[in-house]
Formats: sequence, C-alpha cells, structure tokens
Amino acid sequence: MLRRLRWAVPYLLLTPGGLWLAIFFALPMLLMASVSLQTGSLARGYTLVWNFGIYPDAIIRWHVQIIRSLEYGLIATVLTLVIGYPMAYTIAFRGGRYKNILLLLVILPFFTSFIIRTISWKFVLADQGILLGTLKNLGWLGESFHLIATPIAVVSGITYNFLPFVVLPLYVALEKIDPALIEAATDLYASRFRAFLRVTLPLSLPGLFAASLLSFIPAVGDYVNALLLGSRDTTMIGNVIQVLYLQNNDYPQASALSVVLMAGLLIGVIVYQRMLGGEELTAG
Amino acid sequence: MSDGKEQQSAMEEAIARLVANGRLTRRDFLRRAGQGGAYVGGALSLSAILAACGISPAASPSAASAAASAAATSAATPEPTPVPTPAGELNFANWPLYIDVDDNGNHKTLQDFTAATGIKVTYTEDIEDNQSFFGKIQPDLAAGNDTGYDLMVLTDWLIGKMVGLNYLEQIDIPTFVPNFTAHAGDKYKNPSYDPNNAHSVPWQSGITGIAYNPKLTKRPITSLDDLMDPAFKGHVGMFTEMRDTMNLALLWIGVKPLDATMADVQKAQQKLLDQANAGMVRQYYGNEYADALAKGDLWVTMAWSGDIFQLQFDNPDLQFVVPTQGGILWVDNMCIPMKAQHPVDAQMMMNFVYQPEIAAQITEYVNYICPVPEAQAIIKQHATDAKSGGDSETADYLNAVADSPLVFPTADMLSKVYSYKVLTEDEEKQWNDLFQQVVQG
Repeated sequence: MLRRLRWAVPYLLLTPGGLWLAIFFALPMLLMASVSLQTGSLARGYTLVWNFGIYPDAIIRWHVQIIRSLEYGLIATVLTLVIGYPMAYTIAFRGGRYKNILLLLVILPFFTSFIIRTISWKFVLADQGILLGTLKNLGWLGESFHLIATPIAVVSGITYNFLPFVVLPLYVALEKIDPALIEAATDLYASRFRAFLRVTLPLSLPGLFAASLLSFIPAVGDYVNALLLGSRDTTMIGNVIQVLYLQNNDYPQASALSVVLMAGLLIGVIVYQRMLGGEELTAG
Repeated sequence: MSDGKEQQSAMEEAIARLVANGRLTRRDFLRRAGQGGAYVGGALSLSAILAACGISPAASPSAASAAASAAATSAATPEPTPVPTPAGELNFANWPLYIDVDDNGNHKTLQDFTAATGIKVTYTEDIEDNQSFFGKIQPDLAAGNDTGYDLMVLTDWLIGKMVGLNYLEQIDIPTFVPNFTAHAGDKYKNPSYDPNNAHSVPWQSGITGIAYNPKLTKRPITSLDDLMDPAFKGHVGMFTEMRDTMNLALLWIGVKPLDATMADVQKAQQKLLDQANAGMVRQYYGNEYADALAKGDLWVTMAWSGDIFQLQFDNPDLQFVVPTQGGILWVDNMCIPMKAQHPVDAQMMMNFVYQPEIAAQITEYVNYICPVPEAQAIIKQHATDAKSGGDSETADYLNAVADSPLVFPTADMLSKVYSYKVLTEDEEKQWNDLFQQVVQG
C-alpha cells in the first residue's frame, strides 16, 4: 500500500516549499506585474489598461539610478570577493582548530540588526566623529571634508553588509578541496601560485559563483545603505521604488520598476551562468 | 572634551533613549521606526498592491466595537435633534508617543476621560505615516465600510484631501465640542484645509522652519537664502517630505503656498534644483536629520520645531527660526472617518482634550505646539507647584516647556507661518514628479 504511493513522496516533500513560493512569491509577482499595467490612483481606484508603455517610460526616467545601482553592486561585489576570498581561504586551509571560532566571528555581525549596524557607520564616519574628527583635529583633513553622503560611504556600506554572504559559500567550496590535489600539483613542479591558479581557483569556482550572486543581487536592490549613508547623488533604484510606493503612492510605476529590476537580474544571472559554464557549476 | 568622547556619549545617549521608557518625542521615535520601517517596506507595499487591485482586506473592527455597533447605529449622524447619545466606546488611532504616558504605560489623559464620561477607550498607535495609513484605510472608505476607527489624528493636507473625497464625518462643534470654541487659539479656527472646522479639530501642531548650529555657521541665520550660502556647502539639510520642502521653496521665491500656481511651483522647483546642483545639500532627510544636526554633520537645515526643542536639552546652542520669508505651520487633527461606529464618543473626546488642564497635561509630555494658549499658564502653575514641592528638576523642565517659543510660539512667529496648499490628485502627481527630480537626481 505505502510502497505503491512511493512516487508521491517527492511531491509531498516539495509541497510545503512549493506552496510557500506560490503564495509569497508567484502570486505577489503576478499582482505586481498586473499593477504595473494599470492606471489610476489610490482615491479613484485602478483599472487594468495593459499600459506596456510604462516600461520604456520608467526605464528612461530612472536610467541613471538603474545604471548607478548596477555599478555600485558590481564594485561592491568585486570588493567583497577581494576581501572575502583571502579570508575564506585562510579559514579553510589555515584555520586549524580555530575554524569554528573564525566562522562564528564572520557571522557575528548578524547578531545585530542590519539597520543598527549601518547606523553605526554614520557614527563612525560622521564629520566630527571618531575617525574624521580626529584626523581634522590633527590638521590632516580640511574642515569640510566628509565621507557620509558620498558614493564611497555607500559602496563601503554595501561591501561591509554583504561580506559574510561571500565568505561563507567561498569557505564551503574551499573547505571541500582535497589538499592532496594541491600537493600533487606542487609535486609536479607547479609553484604554489601556479597550483593555486590551476587547482584551487578552478575548484572553488562554484563557491565564487554563488558568492558573487549572493552579494550582487541584494546589493543592486539595496536601498538602506544609500538611504542612510548616501545623498541625492547616490540614489539607487531601490530608493526610487521605495519612494514611489510609500511616498508618492504611484503603484504602477513602482511595480514596473520592480519587474524591470527582477527580470533584468534574472537575465543577467542566466547569462553569467552560461559564461562560467553551467555544467561545472551545478556539478560542483 | 575630545571629539571621540563626545561621539561616544552621543551614542550612549542614543542607546539609552532607545531602551528608556521615558520622555521621547514622537518624531524622535519615528526616526527609529522609520529606519526599522525600511525593512517593513516590502510587507507594506504588498498590502498596498492588494489594496490597489481592489482586494481589500476585510475590515477587522475589534470584537468590542462590533458588539456595540448595534447600539451606535442610531447615533451615526450627529444632528441636534434628537441629541444622539454616546455608545460608551471609542477606538482612537494616533501616532506613537503622541499622548502622555507614564512608566507603566498608562495614559492619564485617557484614564481621566473614562473617569469623566464612562467611555472605554481602545487606544492604538497605528499611524506612523500619513500616506501609508491612508493607503491602509482607503479601500474601506471607498467601499463605504467602517474602518474600525472612530477617531484618528491626521495631518492637515490629508484632512483636506479626505474632506474632498467625502471620507470624513461632519462634527457638531456647538453641541459636542464647545470647549474648542472657548479655548482653541485663533490660528487654529476655520483653517483653509477644513473651513469652519466642519470635520476636524487640531490635536497638536508644529512649525517647519530652519534650525542651525551657530558654532558651525558662525553667524545667525534668518533667511531661506542662507540655505544657499556657499560657506555652508555640503552642510545644508533638506527634507524628503515633499509637502514641507515644496511649500517652503514656494515661500522662498516669495509665493504664499495657498496662492501658488503651477508656474510658481516650477519656479520653486528650479530653486531647489539650483540649490542641489550647487552642491549645497548634504542629503534629503526624513526624521534622521535631527541626529545629523546634533552630530555636527549639518550646520543649517530645514527642521521641525518640536525636534529642536528636544535637542536643545542636550545642545543648548542649537537655534530654531521661522525664516523672514515665512515657515509652515502644520497641524495634526482629530477627525472621524465615515461610517465610524461611535461618532458621539469621538466628539466627546475632542471636547475633553480642549479643556486647558488636559491640553496642558498632553503638552507637558509631547512638547509640540499646543492649540490651547491657556495651557501655558497652567504649565507654569504646575512648575511652581513642583518647585514648592521640592522637585526642582521637574520645575525646570516644565518652565522650559512653558517658556519655549517652540511650544507656545510668539505672535511674531505665528504671523509668519502658512499652511500647506491642499492639492488635487493631479496637482499632487505633478508636485511629486517635480520634487522627485530634485531629490532623486
């Protein structure tokens, strides 16, 4: 009896997750896509008019912020990888018995809210704060020099906030590598650097791929860092969407931009995966 | 004292205030709530979308109000004859920390009200933002349903908008709110956004003007033109709140907001763009501007009077001025949504808080501008009482409240303030578009 129902097991196991996705992702996505094609206002109500023109309009109106978000996301991702890879490498290969403690240290910031940590940056980088105030008192910086409200602050904030998301998958990928392979490479007269380039790095590609996505996707859509650390010249697309939804109650345009952002990222990820060679990655 | 120490104490103070149950202004609280709210954004927008699609979540009046609804139906329209009677219940929605509260979380004003009238109050701090609260109740109002609230506190421009949409019940001032006629300041009667106070009476109000730190500006600030002084480049704060900034910009170009034409609005926008393009503006702020001002990141900034009053306790140097060209007087008003179940009870509350003694009690806690001028003398009296009772700390605090022009503005200040222009829906869209060009670049 039970044996005969075996075929149903995978479906049953998928049901909770599937339902969750359907209710909290697919349905809202459909609603959002529908709202983007409607016209009207909160007071008058909305009607579906299949207004596809809103997409080119929204992209043209906000192209500066869209491009800026991709730029910041890209820079922050590269920075997180540059900082995160050596960290993950050290923990994986040199961590020894401190591995778990080091990993704990990486995720320790998560014990405090994202918002609180970003606000702390405002204190650290404040014009008259611990850092700049001291340098100004020493006469090393001009009185009006500031970091808050500059792109540097925003990109640094994003880099900081997404660093753990990069370290963890990289660590997992590096940790799995059999040291014997690296030894074999050096036995065959590869320099340590060459062994890294030809053995370690390719084997860690799946981790690198996951890490870059885990950093890039939320970074592009992030608006907290731009809101708290930025200015009008660092406005990202997430900030625009937030204002359009909550301040202007312009639901159609906000929905259209959200759809553009999601679709754009999805296409980008697919292309990226193709470029890096999907087989290797999914097999990894 | 070194800068490092100053920073540290500012941080400690902020944390202490975060955890303390004590005196905290409403906007102080909102500053944090707003930042936390950044996360809630996703959830909010989803409900907004549902609303936009006409899928309105069922109104969920509390069980209590549902039970009493039958009793209240006869009291739905407040007409003089026959005089409707109170239902004995009131659902009151307000902003966080916008009424007196003691260390045990009790609101004395509400307890006094219940003691005086027998009406049980369900008080909720459901309103954190006009726009999103309106988004929440609008589907019910549009469908002609009860929102579950009997009394709400909303800002004047939204009152104007809702009056236009016929979303608010009329109130009967001669019958139910005589204290308003007797005790409200003249500036609060017959406002442009609700002629003859047909639907609303003020709760508290405040002024949007300029605050500055004289240590950093090194000179007194008097005019909106000072927001363009190259000496302050990169240290000027402006607001993300569209109405505040645009109306102030109108005053800046010498136009009274109520008289503004679209051409004026475009000129005002150009002024803001010039200011932004000159690199004057450090950032466009929500409630967090107050921190930036306290920390010295901002030298001169648009500001709300109530915040500066609070900041002055820690930074006595900070100044607030109504610019020579004028400032904005915004008013948060009590109003009754259409189909409210207990409109008579709501009007009794309106009447109750217009007793000078009660108005003083609220103002002593919230520190915004009190619509009842007589409350000033009462707060003074409380200070004297506290002094003779040996509590000089409380006496000093109460004297500071009573003497501050930020709580009881001078006649000169009041002669220079104007209301927001009430916008039609099309105007609102145009203003928003113009303003976003300024703020988002």
